[in-house]
Amino acid sequence: MNVTEQDQLSYIAAQAADSRINVEIETEGMTLNIGPQHPATHGTLRIVVKLDGEQVIAAEPIAGYMHRGYEKLTEVRTYPQVTTLINRIDWLGSFANEVPFILAAEQLMEVEAPPRARWIRTILFELSRISNLTLFLGDMGIQLGAMTPVFYAFRDREHVLNQIESVTGGRFHPNFDRIGGIKDDLPAGWIDGTRSAMTRIAEFCDQMEALLLNNEIFESRTRGIGVIPADIALSYGMSGANLRASGVDWDLRRDGGDGLAYKELDWKVWTHPDGDSFARFWVRLQEVREGVKIVEQLLDGIPSGPVMAKVPRIIKVPPGEAWVETENPLGAMGYYVVSKGELVPFRVKIRSASFNNVSIASWVLRGVYVPDIITILASLYFILGDIDR
Amino acid sequence: MGLVESGKSPKSLTTLLNMSRKYSLWVYQWGLACCAIEMGAAFVAPRYDVMRLGVIPLPASPRQADLVVISGTVTDKMAPSVKRLYEQMPDPKYVISMGSCANCGGPYWDSYSVTKGVDQIIPVDVYVPGCPPRPEALLEGIVLLQEKILNEDPADRWKGGPLVIDG
Amino acid sequence: MSSTAEATEETSGDQEEVATDERREALVERIRTELGDALIDHHILADTDLWIRVDRERWVDTGLFLRDGLGCAYFNFLSVIDWMPSPFGREMEAEVDADPEADTKEPEAMQQGVAGGDSRFQLFARVNNVIDHMGITIKTDLDDDTPSIDTWIPAYDGANWHEREAFEMYGVDFIGHPNLINLYLPTGFEGNPLRKDFPLLARRMKPWPGIVDVEQMPGDDEEDETEAST
Repeated sequence: MNVTEQDQLSYIAAQAADSRINVEIETEGMTLNIGPQHPATHGTLRIVVKLDGEQVIAAEPIAGYMHRGYEKLTEVRTYPQVTTLINRIDWLGSFANEVPFILAAEQLMEVEAPPRARWIRTILFELSRISNLTLFLGDMGIQLGAMTPVFYAFRDREHVLNQIESVTGGRFHPNFDRIGGIKDDLPAGWIDGTRSAMTRIAEFCDQMEALLLNNEIFESRTRGIGVIPADIALSYGMSGANLRASGVDWDLRRDGGDGLAYKELDWKVWTHPDGDSFARFWVRLQEVREGVKIVEQLLDGIPSGPVMAKVPRIIKVPPGEAWVETENPLGAMGYYVVSKGELVPFRVKIRSASFNNVSIASWVLRGVYVPDIITILASLYFILGDIDR
Repeated sequence: MGLVESGKSPKSLTTLLNMSRKYSLWVYQWGLACCAIEMGAAFVAPRYDVMRLGVIPLPASPRQADLVVISGTVTDKMAPSVKRLYEQMPDPKYVISMGSCANCGGPYWDSYSVTKGVDQIIPVDVYVPGCPPRPEALLEGIVLLQEKILNEDPADRWKGGPLVIDG
Repeated sequence: MSSTAEATEETSGDQEEVATDERREALVERIRTELGDALIDHHILADTDLWIRVDRERWVDTGLFLRDGLGCAYFNFLSVIDWMPSPFGREMEAEVDADPEADTKEPEAMQQGVAGGDSRFQLFARVNNVIDHMGITIKTDLDDDTPSIDTWIPAYDGANWHEREAFEMYGVDFIGHPNLINLYLPTGFEGNPLRKDFPLLARRMKPWPGIVDVEQMPGDDEEDETEAST
């Protein structure tokens, strides 16, 4: 059976299911198409929902409108060229995309970055998390009709982007991480600048809490909406704040490898038992606050020394396989790197967080009301490049 | 508008018309990838404030828009939607292609699923280079487009020939 | 997962390394008692990672045992590796892709990676135990000509999209999958892009721009200079 026939059959079956329901309550079923370009989908996710009145009876996300073929392209790029490319997977936390790949390559090459490089990596990693999640906090408001938070988010995010730019030279796609260290040292005066940016972000978190958390509309639109139990979340491989909002205490910054400096710091993993949209918002809000704390601690104790280990200029990675994942802003992101000892990787499997996080959509959207589709998708928080790669 | 269509409108009237069109651009945001966030920063962030250029960033539908910013990677799967969007817009319509991907495929020049430039599908008025371009670069692109609008002859739009305008 | 194997030896000390090795050895033993001969091979990277390779026939059983028996409830990913060496000769020096038909030289021998293998396509998946913080990569060999395998959805719901991705990228048939259609690619797309013999047509037309990355740096020795000038 070819694909189009299968399409048709499933369509007919769905129509038949519609009509069975409709006989009972005498309304006409409706198929609603959201996307592929819709403000609520953060890009180009398309969702086809079958409605019964206001209620969703089936939802099918259709991905692929942003599929750029990363896994194939990594096979024809050298290792330093790959980091340029993978910056663009999760485009809001670009630096964080580079880190697991570089760590995997370092694991294969048996190179270790000097302590100073590790700390600066961790700072930039956390800054990309903050710049990513502040936008989420603002965006969650706009999906519920509150315009103000998104303006605040864009305003305060600029301070963080400025700090990233003054180190790396790129607001968005730094391409700053290297096998064996980082490209450059911190510029003068950067630490003080970052401290004041962190103060602003802490204020921003308070503002968001004041604007949204005790708002009756916000609470009633998010509490108890889109509940994902822990076992379902695990079985779909959800990660990051989405998993922690379902009460699973699993954070790769604490439970993962030693590639970054998190284990030497004092911070807390936040979880929430409810698993609804509100919990996901709340956990992310706490994570931004925790990120501010982490960055402040890191700034206090940057070790001195070089920022680059000795590595050959033309990088050939020895044969082997390595899997490294880190806790990225959107969730666990990992690279399975297979090397054959050449200049280019043999195979890079990119495990991106949003892919798993969104695959649950057809499960969680079943039975919800139309306006809640938007809230739930916004609270799952995905980046299209991270789904489609 | 009969005067405009005939191509015989006096120069001063054309200039007046162009100036008013130039400062009331409704721009539809067709955000596709990374560039969409920089476009968002240019259009939404208080720091860049696009409205001072006479650009209104949030029309409800492409049917109300004069300008569309294609920001990001256009894939072969997306291409039909982009074309349909362009067809839905009323004349006179303008297109800004933002970022390397929309200009020429960018870092995905050898990908199997990426369209190598949005100008293969729809005509583009201004290309903004960068990966992604800074918000200031997009504002510069809009200013260039406004210059172009100021200098164009509206009648050209009805003559049916290819548009060649010096900006 | 430590950043390097070297770091493991230096920082964690011998005692701890032995202890974690035992942890992973014990896991392998438990899997062996459950699966018997179906566990073909395994590989342990001390204090870092564990790979097992199982028989294709017991793929779903393995998944169910990992989930229920070993508490690996967290589904990480599922994908495929094509072990065939690329016929296009993509090397640093190659400006354009070689034409595989015009190429007369013998194809390189296939060489599978960690935990071995004896086929071109290898399915691999990873699951985690979020309580013990343990991860396992499971591999299985697929048929060379018509790769097919039972779906993993009974064990892990999340496998749904991953299997659809593997289906379109490698042409692997997942028996019992409820909705095995293209995930990313348009319906009419021909070929399986991630197979090694899928050509990137743009590379046939244009020289690889990556070649300009070999640029002269101050302090380079003579050899490099002559190399760059030729």
